[in-house]
Amino acid sequence: MLAITRSGLAGTVFFLIALLALPALADGQWIKIFISTGCFVIAASGVAFMYSRLGMVSLGQVALMGVGGWVTLRMNHAFNLPFEINVAVAGAVTLVFGWLLALPALRMRGLYLALITLMAAGGLEVIFSTFRFPNGGPGFWGVMPSVAAPFRRPWIAQSDTAYLRYIMAAAFFGFVLIELHRRMAPGRAWAMIRRSEAAALASGVNVVYYKAWAFGLSGFLAGVAGGLLAGGLGLLDAATFRASESIMLFALSVVGGARFWLGAVIAGVLYRVMPALFSNWGINSDLTLVIFGAALLHAIMTAPDGLSGQILQAFGKVTRRA
Amino acid sequence: MSKAIYAGILLAGTFLAPHIALAAPSCGANTGQAATGKPIKVGGIYGAAAPGDFSAASKAAGAYFKCVNANGGIKGRPIEYLVENDQWNPELAAQAAAKLVGDQKVVALVGSGSFVEMSVNAPFYRKNNVMEMASACAVSECFESSNIVSTNQGPLPSSIGAAMYAVEKLGAKNVVCIGLAIPSVGNWSCGATEKYMQSKGLKGASVLLNPASPDVNSGLLEAVASGADSILVNLPAGLANAFLAAAKEQDLRDKYSWTSSTPLYDVSVPKALGDYWNGKVYVSAELTMLDGKGPDNQNWLAVMNAYGKSTDPRDTFSQSGYLSAKYFVETLLAMDPAKLDDRGAVTAAIKAIKGKKSDMMCGPYYVGDADRHMPNHAGIMVVIKNGGFEKVRDCFQYEGPYFAPLLATEKAMGLN
Repeated sequence: MLAITRSGLAGTVFFLIALLALPALADGQWIKIFISTGCFVIAASGVAFMYSRLGMVSLGQVALMGVGGWVTLRMNHAFNLPFEINVAVAGAVTLVFGWLLALPALRMRGLYLALITLMAAGGLEVIFSTFRFPNGGPGFWGVMPSVAAPFRRPWIAQSDTAYLRYIMAAAFFGFVLIELHRRMAPGRAWAMIRRSEAAALASGVNVVYYKAWAFGLSGFLAGVAGGLLAGGLGLLDAATFRASESIMLFALSVVGGARFWLGAVIAGVLYRVMPALFSNWGINSDLTLVIFGAALLHAIMTAPDGLSGQILQAFGKVTRRA
Repeated sequence: MSKAIYAGILLAGTFLAPHIALAAPSCGANTGQAATGKPIKVGGIYGAAAPGDFSAASKAAGAYFKCVNANGGIKGRPIEYLVENDQWNPELAAQAAAKLVGDQKVVALVGSGSFVEMSVNAPFYRKNNVMEMASACAVSECFESSNIVSTNQGPLPSSIGAAMYAVEKLGAKNVVCIGLAIPSVGNWSCGATEKYMQSKGLKGASVLLNPASPDVNSGLLEAVASGADSILVNLPAGLANAFLAAAKEQDLRDKYSWTSSTPLYDVSVPKALGDYWNGKVYVSAELTMLDGKGPDNQNWLAVMNAYGKSTDPRDTFSQSGYLSAKYFVETLLAMDPAKLDDRGAVTAAIKAIKGKKSDMMCGPYYVGDADRHMPNHAGIMVVIKNGGFEKVRDCFQYEGPYFAPLLATEKAMGLN
């Protein structure tokens, strides 16, 4: 169960290089961009694994990040607990939220499931823009019309550079968590459900239970990602968690390739690094949307495993020749 | 060349002459010599994306800096003005501040305008001991932070000015404020307007619209149900137009007195509203009239003509950006030239700004070492009339509990 695959080894090496190189090479602006990218990589990993392992389309992942971010901010301003506990609670709340969303939705398939998650994302968008995110104010919603109260980051990651390393480590453990699930009972059940729900049911697999499990895991990853994103700035804004952003993250996960860890990394990079590069070059960052659309067409028509599938395939050819 | 062409050139010259006369701006040391030394880096962050473009202030500041650079700069050194767009996105706002303050090491930020940037970056500026002389602020954080000072008023003083006019000149006893349900914008400014009404022994109420899906018709019904006799529109210009259009459909013009905060003071508004509202909507203006004849206002227009683009807006935010940039340059020119790259020294010099006066602003501009800054809390009132605006009340000081600590600070500084 603990054997390392070639893909896993490549991922570990990539993680270690990124851990050492990125914080050392990037300047202040890019460290902030990479922090945000790392958070969305974690969220993308959740939505990608649901799609690749179960064929389930969730269009509410970024909205669930908002739930995680809301809980983390609420906890931070209400209690004097360490950052890790706040994020763990955010992950747990989002996991339960994912379940609640999943239970009625799981009897649906394909398009209907996607629509239900999209509607949930739309509902959350309205709630976030109406009630805003806690900033240290009184009452349940915790909003005050003034400068946000201080946010406590992890004690080992007070600076932006250290926090970027912290995010990368969290993303790495997120991938490990998904891989462990894949190798255990849930992974086997998911593989059967993906082939045929009827066959899985006939073999004694509790389809609803394992689908809900997947939703919960994906929700947990979204919640943690939202909590970590809150730690990046110390506050959040409703504009980050619009329903359209959830659709975008799902589309980019398909572009990146949902089957591989590299796909989620590519999705995060396309989502956050590319618009920043465009802005730095003086090009309107909205143009990235055009490129994303073209890339999505490309992925659907020629690359079912996305860019990561193509990259890994090319890499495999090179290593075989050598 | 035919006589007709000669006559044409003469005629064109006659019409252009006043513009040429206007296009002789006075900037900084005004030497007429281009600055060539090592640039002094100055930053600015604006928001331009849906729902609005707040770049007018940084465009005006940029035009003024260009003018200064062409006129001796700061002791021979040009200002390198680096601007970033936060696109109303908090993540981008933090990245912009990290780039300007952390990577580019700007000595100060000037001419910024955003809904988002100040809320996100106020603690960062304090930590890095850098001052932001903003020009287009709209949120409470902008006025209640140690390292941000804005030349414009923002929605709170502007709304109170409108409410005061409604009470003192239009006989209002019960004012309802229509704002956006954003805590640091609508709740903050309409809340303070209610407190002003209470402080006068009168009634006040707020109707707050959801910014994601503002419904002006239900907002109007709520305002009518509040029992008010005066309606204060405190919304962005586009939404305020829609609100007044809904009121026109109900023919409510003569049942209430109508006032508005600054967003409606825009040259495009009278035409958009049409004849129905002629002489009926009173707008609180934060700075002098856009066609004001004072030397600073004329110089602002001259700078924009000579160094700005013809498409750059000439609005209140533009006036505000010019004024912030002018005060900043005056401050740098008065500093020890050896300390111009020392951010701490520039911050200290900005905090020491005191009692600067201009025909563009009613009160004195000052900064001071305080936890909150709002130097501009007196304004004028204009009315929408004959496709334009007419001044109906000259400079007056806003009243209400919110201003008490500011007035105390000013008294301690010997300003009033």
